[in-house]
Amino acid sequence: MEETNTAKKTPSDFLGAAIGGRVVVRLNSGVEYRGVLACLDGYMNIAMEHTEEYVGGDLKNKYGDAFIRGNNVLYIAASK
Amino acid sequence: MLFYSFFKTLVGQPVVVELKNDLSIAGVLVSVDQFLNIKLDDIRVTDEKRFPHMMSVKNCFIRGSVVRYVQLPSAAVDTALLQDATRRENSAEK
Amino acid sequence: MTDGAIAEPLDLVRLSLDERIYVKMRGDRELKGRLHAYDQHMNLVLSDVDETITVVDVNEETFEERIRTVKRSHEMMFVRGDGVILVSPPGRT
Repeated sequence: MEETNTAKKTPSDFLGAAIGGRVVVRLNSGVEYRGVLACLDGYMNIAMEHTEEYVGGDLKNKYGDAFIRGNNVLYIAASK
Repeated sequence: MLFYSFFKTLVGQPVVVELKNDLSIAGVLVSVDQFLNIKLDDIRVTDEKRFPHMMSVKNCFIRGSVVRYVQLPSAAVDTALLQDATRRENSAEK
Repeated sequence: MTDGAIAEPLDLVRLSLDERIYVKMRGDRELKGRLHAYDQHMNLVLSDVDETITVVDVNEETFEERIRTVKRSHEMMFVRGDGVILVSPPGRT
């Protein structure tokens, strides 16, 4: 494999690089969670810190820590 | 396996099973299997106005996947034991 | 690590055993209760649970939407994991 070619990244590489950084997690329901990605597993279960919950673009809730069950996840986006 | 074992300790206890379609069935827990399918005896539907078709039913089998909650008698649950079992199960798997 | 090693998401739930947690469920339901058991499916056993159900009533004539909350409490309950969306440990902002 091309271990030096950083352009060829797998989804796992993307997620690995996102750990510790700010992310947006969007659920199938449309609800979004913005915060710091603490860790995740193969089911896309997610642990987040400093989490803000946005429903229809409005801030609805804040959680210090949050576990999100992976089956609800639509996508994980890295943000600045 | 944790919740299968847990429910086996509750056989004979009165419970209320709330389904995902909002039907609540009170009854005595008869048996449970690995999928958390549940058998109830002496059943009574809590909202008979909404679910009159259940009035003549005496016992039932509930598929585990349609269950939302099971309300339990707290006296029948040893919480310290449950927490120990949970810790053991979740460290043994790895 | 700041608060006990969190190597995988389930560790967050393990550290919440015997604590009061917040659970967001499908069907606009929220639970607050003390966590006594969980597994990898997020099946839970909670005690002293306060449940809040959010219902939207639509007026049949004006189509106005009214948001209403229904509260219930349960002394001990099993929660099936497939309805769980989010679990949050007790307040620590």
